[in-house]
Amino acid sequence: MSTDDQATVEKVLAGDASAFEDIVRRWQRPIVNLAYRFCRDRGRAEEMAQEAFLRAYRSLAQWRRKAAFSTWLFALATNLYCSELRRIPIRTVGLDEIVEPKDSRAIDGGLEEEDQDRVVRRAVFALPAKYREALILFYFHEMDIASTARSLALPEGTVKARLSRGRAILRGKLSKQLGQPLVRREA
Amino acid sequence: MRQDDLDRMLSKEQQIIPSSGFVNSVMDSVRREAVTPAPIPFPWKRALPGLASVVLSLALLLIAGGALFTRGIAGQSQPLALPFAQDRILEAARSIRAGWIVLALLLSFASAKLSIRFTTLRD
Repeated sequence: MSTDDQATVEKVLAGDASAFEDIVRRWQRPIVNLAYRFCRDRGRAEEMAQEAFLRAYRSLAQWRRKAAFSTWLFALATNLYCSELRRIPIRTVGLDEIVEPKDSRAIDGGLEEEDQDRVVRRAVFALPAKYREALILFYFHEMDIASTARSLALPEGTVKARLSRGRAILRGKLSKQLGQPLVRREA
Repeated sequence: MRQDDLDRMLSKEQQIIPSSGFVNSVMDSVRREAVTPAPIPFPWKRALPGLASVVLSLALLLIAGGALFTRGIAGQSQPLALPFAQDRILEAARSIRAGWIVLALLLSFASAKLSIRFTTLRD
């Protein structure tokens, strides 16, 4: 994959703009999905992903071949998504304002899995930006601290600290919302 | 709530598929970008002597004004009254031909402003 990327980048840098289509086709899915995790809005996710590809095209010459193309692309996209969402934030509710869903069918007083997911997502979006960004990227990169740190251009220690703090805030708030113990329900 | 519970809930994520026109839409903007000429950068090299002379003139004006003003205060034992201070400043300005310096500064500023305007118009 990385040699494919490198060959494509060389073609684009040599003046063949249409070769960039290979990069878009190869990376559209993760880049759009990353944007979706940041904004939870399909339309906006595609708009942000489009802007990320355009920026990648403009600054393709700045990609240092030492790092994988995907690392560079994810870092560029993350930077764009974070600043876009700071410029025009998504509508969120405060952690304390999250209303418990009415449908509490579970016998133990907990919530159904779907409701739990909704409550968790809302809670993540109500976190301060630095914790939210670290958490979103950490789970996007399948819990890989190094990749998360590279995408955020932060030292791994800082990412660990933000994840730990973000999780602690989430646990505190979600314990109230979801009830204890949190039981996994099979469909 | 345990760490595992949180990890499980946050890892579980719905994947979306980009719309069918996404690639075309990106490539349209890339092609537009490719045919657009690169913006002309501000000619710092050419503007630098002008800017340096502006800064230098300003610094000289301040030094000369400050020196004359201090000399005026030293020669006067009574406290400095405002109308007197104005007279001293005007006198100092006349003696160093501040009018010409101000005119030069204004011309430099106008020329720099025009250069910036021309470069942005050509973008």
